Amino acid sequence: MRKALLIASVAGWTIGWSAAQPQPDLGSEQQRAAGKILYDQYCSQCHGEKGDGLGVAAPYLKPKPRDFTRGKFKIRTTPTGAVPSHEDLKEIIRRGMPYTSMPDWPQFSDQELSNLAYYIKTFADDFEDPAAYGDSLQIPSPPSPSQESIDRGRQLYLNMGCVRCHGDVGRGDGSAAREQTDDWGYHLRPADMTKPWTFRGGNQREDVYRTFMTGLNGTPMPSYADESTLAPEDRWPLVDYVFSLSESPEPNYASLLKAVPAQGPIDSEGGLEQFETAPLARFPLVGQIVERGRNFYPAVVDVEVKAIYNNEDIAFLVEWNDVFAETQGSNDPSLAVPAWDPEAEDKFELLKPPAASASPSASDDPFADAEAADPFADQQQAADPFAEDQPTAATSSSVRATPYSDAVAIQFPQQIPSGNPKPYFVFGDAQKPVELWFTDLSNNIPQLYLGRGSVSLNPSDSGEPYEVKSSFDQGRWSVFFKRKRTSRRSISFQEGGFVPIAFSVWDGFNHERGNKRGLTSWFSLYLEPSQKPSVIAPMVQNGLTILVLQVLIIFGVRRKFAQRTEE
Amino acid sequence: MHLYVLLPILAVMLLLQWRKVGMLVWLFVYWIGIFVILKYGFTTPVPQSVISLYMGIITFALIIYISWDKKRFRAVVDPLVAFMTRRRYTVPLVLVVVLIPSLVATSVYLSRTAPVQAPFFARTVHPATPASISAFSTDYDLATLDNPLRPLESDDPQAFARHVANGRAVYYENCHYCHGDDMTGNGQFAHGLNPIPTNFADSGTIAMLQESYLFWRIAKGAPGLPEEGGPWESAMPVWENFLTEEEIWEVVLFLYDFTDQRPRAREEVH
Repeated sequence: MRKALLIASVAGWTIGWSAAQPQPDLGSEQQRAAGKILYDQYCSQCHGEKGDGLGVAAPYLKPKPRDFTRGKFKIRTTPTGAVPSHEDLKEIIRRGMPYTSMPDWPQFSDQELSNLAYYIKTFADDFEDPAAYGDSLQIPSPPSPSQESIDRGRQLYLNMGCVRCHGDVGRGDGSAAREQTDDWGYHLRPADMTKPWTFRGGNQREDVYRTFMTGLNGTPMPSYADESTLAPEDRWPLVDYVFSLSESPEPNYASLLKAVPAQGPIDSEGGLEQFETAPLARFPLVGQIVERGRNFYPAVVDVEVKAIYNNEDIAFLVEWNDVFAETQGSNDPSLAVPAWDPEAEDKFELLKPPAASASPSASDDPFADAEAADPFADQQQAADPFAEDQPTAATSSSVRATPYSDAVAIQFPQQIPSGNPKPYFVFGDAQKPVELWFTDLSNNIPQLYLGRGSVSLNPSDSGEPYEVKSSFDQGRWSVFFKRKRTSRRSISFQEGGFVPIAFSVWDGFNHERGNKRGLTSWFSLYLEPSQKPSVIAPMVQNGLTILVLQVLIIFGVRRKFAQRTEE
Repeated sequence: MHLYVLLPILAVMLLLQWRKVGMLVWLFVYWIGIFVILKYGFTTPVPQSVISLYMGIITFALIIYISWDKKRFRAVVDPLVAFMTRRRYTVPLVLVVVLIPSLVATSVYLSRTAPVQAPFFARTVHPATPASISAFSTDYDLATLDNPLRPLESDDPQAFARHVANGRAVYYENCHYCHGDDMTGNGQFAHGLNPIPTNFADSGTIAMLQESYLFWRIAKGAPGLPEEGGPWESAMPVWENFLTEEEIWEVVLFLYDFTDQRPRAREEVH
C-alpha cells in the first residue's frame, strides 16, 4: 500500500511539491530525551504521558487532544495520509490551534521545538517508515484576489462539494454538517469560513491553500491536491473565495454596544433592514465554567449584536452562527444540569464507533485516496459527507437526538447601577438581581426571568413585557427583541446613558441547557443621542472666556506698570 | 519606565542646573518635563486624574519656589511684564492672545467628538485580605494560616512531589481554560473574560503573595472579593464548591512549583 504512495507521489505530486523524498529524521537520543523533559512538563497533561491523547485534562476538551500513537496529524504540508514533516510538527506547536485548548508556545526556542518534535515522533511507528513520508508542499506566493477569481472560486466551491459541509455562505452549516465525525468517532463541526480567526491551521491565505491541498488527516476534510479534481490555476481562486466570505481575518471584539436612533417606527415584522444603520458589536462567548452545570466546550463562539431605538421602543438584533437550528424539544435557563460526568459526555460526543484502530482496514488506509485518485474515496467509506442522499443505518443512527432546543437570553441588571457595582455576571446575586430576556427558539415565547444567582432563577411576570421574533437562515440565527424604552416596572433606556448588558446562548444540539451555556461577561449598552449637541457653542464659550481673561490681565498689567511702557 | 522618555528629560533638567538660563525658561522646562514624564514615562499609563493631581502640586510648588526669593520672583515676572507692555512685542502678544483661546477651543472640540468609551472601573487586582474567612465549614485566620503541605518539601520530598503531581492534575482539569497551559493567563476562554485571568508566571503575582492569600482567592472565588476587587465581574469560581481543602493546597503547591517561584514569606512580628 505504501509503495502506492511513492508511485502516486511521483505521478501526481510533481508540481508544487519539493523534489527530494524526505527520509525519517528521528533525532539523536539526547534530542529525544530533551524533548521528553519538555513534553512531560508542558504537553502530557492533555496528550498523555504515552502520547495517546488521554492526559488528565482530555475528558474536558473538544476537539480532543491529538493521539500521537496513530500518526494522524491535521495540519501538515505533506500529502494526505502522510506523516507531517519535522518542520510541520515544530510549526504547529509554535503556533497552536486557535479556539481549541492547544495554545501557541512562542516561548520555545527553535531547538526546543525540534526536540519536542523528535520526542513526539517516538509515539507512532509511522515516523520510522520511509514510505509514510511525503514531500512537503511548496506554497507559491499568493496572487492578489480579483472579482473574477472570487467568482471562479465560488463555482469550484459549489462543484467540488465544499458546500456540502461548509454551507452555501460558508457558515459550516452544510447539509452534511451534522453527521461529520473524526476517525475516532467524535462529532466535528465543519469550519465556519466567515470566521477565519477560528481556522485551526491559521488565518493566512497560505494556510487555507495548504489545508485543502493536504487535507486534515483524521477528519473528513479531504485533500484536493489531485490536479484532475482541482486544476493548479484554480487553487488560489478557491482561497480567494473562502476569504471573500469573511469581512476580516480578525474578530475585532467590541466592548460597547451602540444603539442608534431608528429611522421610523420599530416593527417586529420590519425585518433586518431596520438595523442597517446600526453598528455591529461582536462579543466573545465562552463556556459557563464558573458554576455547576459547567460547559467546557460551548458550540457558539460569539454573538453579533445591533441595537436601535426611537421615542417609544428599543430593539436588539442578536445573531450567531449555528450548524443546525434545534427547534424540537425545549429549553429553560433554570433547568437542572447533572454534575459533569466525563463518561456520559464522551458517549454523547461519540457519534459512531471509532474507525478500527488495531487492524488497518481499507477505510483506515491513509493512502487509499491517493491510489484511487478520488479525494472522497476515504470519506465514502469512513464518514461519507454525502450520506444524506442515501441514508444508511450507520449515518442515520449517528445523528444524535437532543431533547433541548436552541435558546438565547439578554441579561440586564434589574436596576441600572448608580456606581461601579453590578450584579454578579453569572445570573445575578441575592442583593442585585438580573433580568433575563429569555426565549426558547422552539416557540419564540418571550419569557422574562429574574435571577438572584444560578440557584434562584425564576420566571417573572412583574417586569416589562417584550416581543421576540426569530429566524434561522443559512446557518445563522437572527433573534429580534423589542421592548418599550421607558418602564416603571423595569429599567429604562435613556438617551446618552449606559446600561450593563450580557448575553447567553444555548445550543440544543450540544445539549446546552440551564447553566450549561455559552455566556459573555458584562458589556455596556450606550444609546447614542438622537440630537447631537452642538460642538461649536462650548468651543466659542471656552475660547471667549479665556480671551476675556487674557485681555483683563494684560490691561491690568499695563495699568500697573504704565510707567515702564513709556520708558 | 520608558527610559527613552525619562533619560533625555532628566539630562536636560540637569543641564539647566549647570548652565545659566533665565528663570522663566527653567520654570517652563521643569513643568513640561514633569508632565511628559507622568504622561509618557510609565509603562502602565497613569490615569488622567492622577496626572492632574500631580501637576497641581507641581505648579503650586514651583510658585512657592519662585515667590520665596525676590530676585527669583523678579526674574520670572519682569520678562512677562515686558512682553505685555513693551511696544515692540505687540505683534507676538496679539498672536499669543489669539493662539491660546484657539488651542482651548480645539481641545474642547477633540474631547466632545472623541469616540464614546464604555465606563471604566479601576479594580484593585490584589485587594487586602480579610482577617479571616469561612470555608469548608471552618474558620481560617488568614494572618496565621499556612499551607499544611509546605513542610513536606523538606521533611518528606517524596510525599511533597506526590502532592505537587496531584495539584498538577487539579490545575489541568479545572484551571487551564482561563489561566492557560503555561500559567500566563492566556487560556482558551481568556479572550472572553474581563478582568483577564491572572498571569501566574509574572513575578508580580503569586511571588508577592502568601499561600494563605491564594487559599482565600481559590476557595472563595470572585464572590468572596471585596467591592474594590469587582466581585460582580471576575470569573474566578468558588472552588470550595468543586475541590477539597487538600486539593486547593495541592494546586497552590503546583502553581509555585511550575512557575519556579516561592511564596512570599510572612513578615516577622517583633
